Formats: sequence, C-alpha cells, structure tokens
Amino acid sequence: MDTSLFLVQLLNGVQYGLLLFLIASGLTLVFGVMGILNLAHGSMYMIGAYLAYYFTTLTDSFLLAFIISGSIALVIGIIIERFLIIHLYKRDHLDQVLLTVGLIFIFNATQSFVWGNDPLGIEVPELLSGSIRLTDIVEYPVYRLFISLLCLLVAATMYFTINKTRLGMMIRAGESDRAMVENLGVDISKLFTIVFAIGVFLASLAGIVSVPIVSLVPGMGEHVLISCFVVVVIGGLGSIKGAFVAALIVGIADTYASVLLPQISSMSIYLLMALILLVKPQGLFKN
Amino acid sequence: MSILSNKSEKIFIYLFFAIGLFIPLFLEGNTFFINKFSTIIILAIFVMSLDYLVGRTGLITLGHAMFYGLGGYIFTILAPEYEAVNFWVYTFYVMLISGFIALIVGLIVLRTSGIYMIMITLALAQMSFYFFADSIEYGGQDGLFVYIKPETSIFGLNFLDLENETHFYYLCLLSLFNCFVFFKIIMNSSFGRVIDALKENPDRATALGYNIFHFRLIAYVLASSLAAYAGYLFALQFGFVNPSMMSWDVSATALVMALLGGLGTIYGAIIGSFVYEGLHYFIEHLTEYWMFFMGALIIALVLTLKNGMAGFLNTLSGGKRS
Repeated sequence: MDTSLFLVQLLNGVQYGLLLFLIASGLTLVFGVMGILNLAHGSMYMIGAYLAYYFTTLTDSFLLAFIISGSIALVIGIIIERFLIIHLYKRDHLDQVLLTVGLIFIFNATQSFVWGNDPLGIEVPELLSGSIRLTDIVEYPVYRLFISLLCLLVAATMYFTINKTRLGMMIRAGESDRAMVENLGVDISKLFTIVFAIGVFLASLAGIVSVPIVSLVPGMGEHVLISCFVVVVIGGLGSIKGAFVAALIVGIADTYASVLLPQISSMSIYLLMALILLVKPQGLFKN
Repeated sequence: MSILSNKSEKIFIYLFFAIGLFIPLFLEGNTFFINKFSTIIILAIFVMSLDYLVGRTGLITLGHAMFYGLGGYIFTILAPEYEAVNFWVYTFYVMLISGFIALIVGLIVLRTSGIYMIMITLALAQMSFYFFADSIEYGGQDGLFVYIKPETSIFGLNFLDLENETHFYYLCLLSLFNCFVFFKIIMNSSFGRVIDALKENPDRATALGYNIFHFRLIAYVLASSLAAYAGYLFALQFGFVNPSMMSWDVSATALVMALLGGLGTIYGAIIGSFVYEGLHYFIEHLTEYWMFFMGALIIALVLTLKNGMAGFLNTLSGGKRS
C-alpha cells in the first residue's frame, strides 16, 4: 500500500468513525442519563435515511430534506419516549430489549411498506459534489469531508452543551444520581424526553447525511446498530468521550481491515472488541 | 416428589404430550402440518434452553441463535457428504463441540453482566454470522446442504426413518420431552437451587461460598449445547444450514416467545413457541407486513402481560403467583 492510498483510507476510516460516533453518542447518551438501552436506535438511522431520500426526491433540495427529516425525527423521538419508553424506567433490561425489538419490527415493516425492498439512493448534492486533489494522482470527494466536518461540529456542540450549559449540567447530574436530581426539583420527565429526542435526532442525522454515499436497503439499521454496540462496549457504556475514541478506533480498524485483511474484514471489529474486553471488561473509559 | 411444580403445569404437560402423541393419527397424510409441528417443536427446544438461561439464571443473552446455527453447521461440516451417519453419535458430537465453544465464549461474556452482556452476546453472534456468511468454504450466504439424512439405529435396532415426516415428528417430540424433563430435574437438583439463589441474590450466594462464575458457566454451557441440538434437528428437517439461523432476530424472537410463555417456567417455552408461531402463521396469511403487527403485539405484551401465558394459566387454575 503506497502513501497516497494509505492517506485516502485513513480519511475514509476517520469519516466512517465520526459517523459511527454520531450514532453511538446518541445510544450512549440515552443509556447514560436514562438507563435505557434502545435497540431501535439503528432503526432511527434507517428512518432518517429513508425520510431524507423521500424529501430530496420530493422537493429536489437536499438541504430542505435535511431540515424536514431532522424535525420529523425529533417528533418521533418525543412520541416514542412519551408513549412507550416512559413505561420502562422501573422495568428491567429484558423488558427494554423486548419493547425496543418490537419497535424495530414496526419500523422495518413500515419501511418495506412505504419504500419497498429495492436499494435506493440519491446523487450527492451539487454544491458538495466535487473532489479535492490530495496529491498528483489522488482525489478525495468533498462530500465525505463535509460529513467529517459536520460530525466534528456536532461533537464540539455536544461537548459544549454537556460541559457548559444548564441542560448539560442536568444531564451530567442525571448520569451520576438520578434520584437526587429529581429531589432537587429538576423536572426529570422533561429532561428524559429531551435527552431521548436528542438521541433519536443524532441517529437520524447520521442516516440523513449518509444518504448520498450509501444505498438504502432493508436491514441497514441493524447493521449500524451492531457496529455501534461494538463502539459503545469498547468505549465504555455511558461515556461520550469513550464513544468518540472508540468510534475512531473502530472506523479506522474496519477500513484498514477491509483493505489489508479482506478475508476477515467483517469480523475484525468484533475480534478487536473481544480482545479489548479480555483486558478491560468495562471498556476503555468507564466512568 | 413430582418434578411438576404446579397444577396448571401438570395439566398442560399431560395434555400437550397426549395430544402430541396422537395428533399424527388425525393428520394422516397431511405432511404440511406434521412438518409445521416438527418445526415448532424444534423451536420450542431452542426457546426452552434460552428460557432456562434468561429466566432461571438471570443471564440475558441476545446471541443464543449463534449456538442454534452452530449446531447445524457442526453437523454439516463434520458429517461425510454422501454417507449416512449415525444420528445418536452425531448428537453427541454436536453437543460436545458446541458445549466446548460455549465454554470459551462463556469465559468472555460471563465476565460482564446486564446490559453489557446483552450487547456482547449480540456482537459475538453477529461475528459468527459474518464468519459463515463470508466463508467460501462453508457456502457463504447460501450455507451448506445435508444430502443424506442420518440413520438412527441403536444397538442394532432401528425404529426411526428420518426421511419419513411422521417419524421425524416423533423424534422431535421425544427430544422436547427429554429436554423438558432434563431441565425440570436440574431445577429440582441442588445445582438448580444454587442457580435460583444466585439469581435472587448473587452477593449472598457468594458469601455462602459458592463460586457464582462457575455455576453460571455450567448453566451457559448446558443451555448453549441444547440450543445447538435444536439447530442440528433444524438442519436435518430442512436439509440445509445458512448464516441467517444465527441472525439477531432469531435470538430476539426466541426471547419474545420465552416471555410470552412465562419466563423461567420452562413449560412456558412450549406455550410461547406455539402461540407465537400460530399468530405468525395467521397474520402472515392476512398481510405481507406481518412484522408490523408482531411488533405491536410484542410491545403490548411487554406493557401488559408480566408473567406470560404460564402465569395467566396458573392464575386461571387457582394457583399462587410465583
């Protein structure tokens, strides 16, 4: 592998890792604050992608589709939390698993009912469709750089929100002692709704921005969900910092494995996870 | 002392196996339903092994289908392609090898618990899914085929012809019965008492001097190798194995069936499998989008039915809630 190819793969790995972070951060945030493992998180990624596809073909504008799909995702998040997740706070893990599996079934059936089972996709939007020259012979698509930048922006916003704002203060407090936060007069049910909606929004945001570069197929949500599990397990459940580091490790490892070790590429991240678990059963950044 | 723990269980088990024994007589020639029943009985064995793990030991796994698939693969990989092997010998091989794999997997996953264990078992099952889906040697996505079914002679006696649907049905029914009795004996043994204790209160069980890791590992290996046995029967019935047997939704659906029947009741696994598959069969005939209704059903179930069908039957027959 020469240097330029190495560089392109590195950029691809980072881009994939950042996208994984976007999804995994929502999963880990919801778990950290609310203690809920949302298996339907990957379905939100899928729904985001299909909505963006639908509205792009409808309005001819990716930006407009971006805004509409994002808003719909927020509303879906609020509805799911208010009507279903709300019953789970005093239940055990098993009930969480089963209820969110039920949601996956519903989302998958809806997807195949509305959009069918054929692969779908859209063109990269005009404004971001070019390539950047890295070296004399190697070019890199602008759109992928755009995804990376957007994800970094979201990561920075999350860091700021969690560490510097009042909402962030409540989130951090909720992570360390839920009962105490409630006793101090914080409206915990409102906080939970906001956090869950943010989580759903993050997953669907990842779905929306990846529409131009992936093909939309049934089951895409579960595939992403399981990669996110690997990220979250490696990073330490509930830790957003851990999710960031682990997502980059997984993204880069996965990309290089598919170039260097194609025979085991789809197993590579799981092997990585098993290895890390043997050394640190709680993940790299357990708080 | 009877191994059946309450009245509703007693009634259900006697009724189920009595009907099960005679039903092929009434379905004379209707191989579709005999095959369907065999399939559901195989599923019930799988669900029962999961029910023991989740309901009795409190270890929640979303990767149980890995062993279901492995059972099928171990048989198809080991058995010579064009030669009938002995069913009982290969039952031993399948359970031994899958038990050994479960021992190694268990050493990794049982280091964790709760949510972590759910995610790790799921990820490992997915890993073995990709291992078989990507391997050219083991047929990739298409999987492997079973060309010759095993013969079942034991000490020179040969009662069962596996090519015959009714014979195969009786083999499945017998397996389910053995499986049920096995789990009930385990539950009533001192081993089972320790398992119950460490589910109730792991700290106290540790304080009493029990190494809970060892007990969990034994339970995990037992349940996993029985899941593999179910997968082996599946491979024999359908004549193939493929990676989709290990897919996450097989594990998830089995969990739903265990819950539907009543977690930890063991006989509930039979109820859960039959009720779920019955509903599935019914809704599938009404609409192509049956998953929508199954999803809604699962959610309704979680929100309403806390002790499953077994708990419901038990209340009906005047028993106490356990």
